[in-house]
Amino acid sequence: MALLWLRLAVLLYGFAALAVLPAALYDRPRWKSIAIPAALAGAFFHFVSLTESLYAAHRALPVDTHETLSLLGLILVAAFLLLAARYKTVAFGIFLLPIAALLAIVPAFHPGHETIAYPPFGDHARTGWLMLHIALLLAAYAALFLSLLASLFYLVQERRLKQKRSARPLSRFAAWLPPLETLDQIALNALRFGLPCMTAGLLIGSVLALETTGPTFFADPKVLLSIAMWVAYVLMIFIRRHSGLRGRRAVYLSSFVFLVVLAVWAANSLSTVHSFKTP
Amino acid sequence: MADSTPNAKLLLLGVNHTTAPIDVRERLAIPVARLADATRALAHQPGIREALIVSTCNRVELLTVADSDSAPSPVEFLHNYLNVPATDIQPHLYEFREREAIRHLFRVASSLDSMVVGEAQILGQVKQSWSIAREVGAIRSTEATSSAGAFSSVLDPLLQRAFSVAKRVRTETRIGSSTVSIASVAAELAREIFGSLAGKTVLLVGAGKMSDLSARHLIQQGCTTLLVSNRTETRAEKIADTLRTPTITTGVIPFGLLHDQAHRADIIITSTGAMALGAAAHIFDRDHARALLQRRKNRPVFFIDIAVPRDVAPAVNKLEGCFVYDIDDLQQVAMQNQASRGKEAEAAESIVSNEVARYSERLSQAPATEAIKQLLADAEVLRQQELARIRHQLADQPLSEAQLAAIDRLTKSITAKLLHPQIAALRDLAKSETSQD
Repeated sequence: MALLWLRLAVLLYGFAALAVLPAALYDRPRWKSIAIPAALAGAFFHFVSLTESLYAAHRALPVDTHETLSLLGLILVAAFLLLAARYKTVAFGIFLLPIAALLAIVPAFHPGHETIAYPPFGDHARTGWLMLHIALLLAAYAALFLSLLASLFYLVQERRLKQKRSARPLSRFAAWLPPLETLDQIALNALRFGLPCMTAGLLIGSVLALETTGPTFFADPKVLLSIAMWVAYVLMIFIRRHSGLRGRRAVYLSSFVFLVVLAVWAANSLSTVHSFKTP
Repeated sequence: MADSTPNAKLLLLGVNHTTAPIDVRERLAIPVARLADATRALAHQPGIREALIVSTCNRVELLTVADSDSAPSPVEFLHNYLNVPATDIQPHLYEFREREAIRHLFRVASSLDSMVVGEAQILGQVKQSWSIAREVGAIRSTEATSSAGAFSSVLDPLLQRAFSVAKRVRTETRIGSSTVSIASVAAELAREIFGSLAGKTVLLVGAGKMSDLSARHLIQQGCTTLLVSNRTETRAEKIADTLRTPTITTGVIPFGLLHDQAHRADIIITSTGAMALGAAAHIFDRDHARALLQRRKNRPVFFIDIAVPRDVAPAVNKLEGCFVYDIDDLQQVAMQNQASRGKEAEAAESIVSNEVARYSERLSQAPATEAIKQLLADAEVLRQQELARIRHQLADQPLSEAQLAAIDRLTKSITAKLLHPQIAALRDLAKSETSQD
C-alpha cells in the first residue's frame, strides 16, 4: 500500500506542478486553487506512504538514499505550501513542485533496499534521535535551496525592474515574480530557519557519533565537511544581515554555500562511518 | 421582444466621448444631485414605462422602456429638461434598440465602451443610476412586480444581468488588472519593489501637481510617513500640512539637508526641474545615491522622477538597489498597460456577445413562459374544483387519506399529460417568432 500512496503523491505533485504554471505565469486564480490543494493532498499521501513503509519495516528512520531524498521532496512541498500561505505566492512552485515530484518518483517506481551499515542503532531512543538528526538536516538543506532560489528570483526581478518593462523578453517573462522585498524576506527567513535546524541536526549527530564510535568519528571527511558547511552557513547569514547583501553578490554567496552542501552530501561515498550500503 | 407585455420597446439613446465633444457633453451632463429629479421626470413622460439615466463625464445615456413606438423620443425630454436645442444634440446622438441596446448596456457596464477601457468606476456609476431610478420608482424592482402581479419590470432584471456580466468580464479577463494613469503606475511599481507599502516612507522633493497626486496615491496604498523637501520651506510645510491625517505622519526636511536625510525614505518623488532653473547638476547623482544606499544598508530605494529636465541622473538606475523611473518611463508603462487591456478587451467582447445572445433568448421565451404559467394555473383551479366536487359527492362514504392522495396524483398526471402538447406548441411558437425577428 505504501508504494501506491507514494505513486499517488507523485501523480498529485506532477498535477500540481502543471497547474502552478498558469497560476503563476499567467496569474490565473482558478489554477492556483487547483495547484495548492493538489500539492496538499500529495503531501498528505506522501506522509502516509512514508509512515506506512517505515512502520512496515519496523524502523523509524529513512535510511535508504531514495527514501531520504523522498523525505526531502516532502519538505520542499511543505515549504511551497508555507510560502503560499504566508506570502500568497505560488511562484516558487514552478521549481519546488517538479523537484519534489522527481525526488519522489524514483522510490515510487524503483524502491531501493539500502540500509545504514554502521553503527547499528538498535534502541528506540537512539533511533528517534537519529530520525531527528536526518529530518533537521534535510530541513536545513531545503531552507538553503529555497534561499538560493529566492536570491535568483530577486536577481531576475531586479533586472526586470531596471529594464523598466520595455518590450525586452525578460520584462514579459518575469512579470509573475513576487516583489523584491518579499523575495528578500523569503531568502533571509529561510536561512534564519535553516540555521537552528542545521546546528541542532549536527549536534545530535555528533553526540550520537561520540557515543558509538568515539572521537575518531571527527576525523571522517564527511564530518569535517559538515562542520565547514555549518561555518559557511553562519558566515552567510552574518554577511547578509550586517551588510544588507542583496542581488548578484547574495546569489554568489548562496551558490557557494549550496555547493558546500552538495559536497557534504557527496562525501557520503568517501565516508567510512556515514554511508548507505546495500546489505 | 423586450417584455412579456406586447409592444414594450427598449430604447437606449445617448452621447459619449467618441460621438460628442466636451462642450456638448458638458451641456448634457446631469449632476448626481439632480439625477433623481431628472430620472423621475423622464419616467413621467407619456408612454414611458421605465427609465434610467447614466450621466458621467464621458457619457450621458437615457435608457427607456416605452409602451410603443409612438411614445415621444427622449430627445424631446433632453431638449425640455436641459434647455438644449434638439439640433445641437441630434448630430452627436447614438440610438440603440432592443438587442443592440442590451449589448450596449452590457458593454458600458463592463467598461468596454469607456475612454480608459477596463476602468472600474463606470460600473459603480451605472449601479448608482440604477439605485436612484429604483428609489424614484422609475424602475420597478423585480420582487415588487412579481408580488404585486403588475407587469414585469424590463430594466431591473436587465441591469442586474449587466452587473453580473461586468463581474464575469472582470473575473475571467485581466481587463482591469493593469493600471494606466501615471500616479497609479508609480504606485504599482512601488508595490513590485516593496510588496506591501504599509509603513513605507515617501519623500517629496519639490512641489507639483503630478508629484502631489503620486504621493497621495502612495499614501492611499498604505505609505504612512511623508517627508517634504522644497527650496521654499514654507511651501514644504504647507504641503506637509495638507497631506497630514491622523494616520499619516508628515515632516519637512530643509533643502540643504536633503542628502543627509534622504536615506529615511523608501520612495523619493522629485519634481524640482532644478536644471531648467540654472542648476549645474542633478539633485541626485550616482555618488549621492551610493551614499544613500550605504546608509540604508542596501535596502532598495525607488526614485520617481517627474521633473523635466530630470532631477535624478540616469546613471543612478545602474546601481544595485536603485530604481529610477522618469516621466517617459512611467508613460511607457501606462501605454503598455493600455495596449494589454486592448487584448483583454477582445476576450471581454466575446463574453458580452455570448451574454447578449443568452439574455435575448431568455427574453424571447418570456411571453411563452407567462402564457404557460397562466395555462397551468387555470388547469390547477379546474382540478381543485373537480376534486372538491367528488369529495362532496362521496360525503356519505368518505375516502381514506391514501385514496385521496392517489386521486390527487392521478388528476395531476392526467392534467400534465393533457397540457403537454399545448405547452410545447407555445414554446415552439416563441422560438419561431424569435427566429423571424
